[in-house]
Amino acid sequence: MNDTQQTHSKQRRHALKLIGGAGVAAMIPLGLLPGAAAAATGLGMPKPDEKLEQALERLFGKRPLQPAGDKLKVEMPLIAENGAVVPVRVESSLPMEANNYIKNIYIITDKNRRPLNARLSLTPDAGKLSIGTNIRMASTSDVRVIAEMSDGSLWQFKQEVKVTVGGCGG
Amino acid sequence: MSQVRIRVPEKAKAGDVVTVRALVTHPMEVIQVKDGKVVEKNYNFIHKVEASYNGKPVYEAETTQAVSQNPFFSFTIKVNEPGKVKVIFHDTEGKTYTGEADIKF
Repeated sequence: MNDTQQTHSKQRRHALKLIGGAGVAAMIPLGLLPGAAAAATGLGMPKPDEKLEQALERLFGKRPLQPAGDKLKVEMPLIAENGAVVPVRVESSLPMEANNYIKNIYIITDKNRRPLNARLSLTPDAGKLSIGTNIRMASTSDVRVIAEMSDGSLWQFKQEVKVTVGGCGG
Repeated sequence: MSQVRIRVPEKAKAGDVVTVRALVTHPMEVIQVKDGKVVEKNYNFIHKVEASYNGKPVYEAETTQAVSQNPFFSFTIKVNEPGKVKVIFHDTEGKTYTGEADIKF
């Protein structure tokens, strides 16, 4: 039974959806998902729910967040009809030189259950900062874009995005 | 199931900053929680994206479940020679999806 489940985890998932709530509760104890074993490492791996302050401290420690002003140019909608797809584009006039460059861009949604959306890491080979991705938002919230320079200084851009339909499920 | 698509400019010159756009078809399934309890622990999402140009890493993303379905990433590379952009997506089930594109001069 277990072997069948592991090799057919895709089918099992569909089966779970069909069976519905009662079935799900009964089958979870049996389920050993392949992903669960590797869940401990990596920033992108599932983390328990956390508050914004905890997330910021986990990522940046006590380092101060300086307002970015015109250093970061961020494009995101003021009103997102669908929280499941919120485009975020970031450009910047900050330098991208061999020993002074933007190392990481963090995208953080304040009111998501797990505030960190993504960390995008760059190298001086990027030439300039111009990146984009699509994020999910559960509800109307401030979205922060934080640039971490190679020397550790942090620049923060913040904007509220109104969400009509949340996109995080659950 | 999953499919990677990468778009780069048709032609570039030495010293140009080219924009690479990469997209992978992936459901980005999430952990379902109701009333603070995990009701469905099945999840499967892209948690890491790595991009390299001629074998040299240029871009990396650590993504959580709060990135949209069929995740899309754009980034830039300063090119000095023609070469190959390679983007690898890793998901939480341990699968990888790879896409490549040539930048011609």
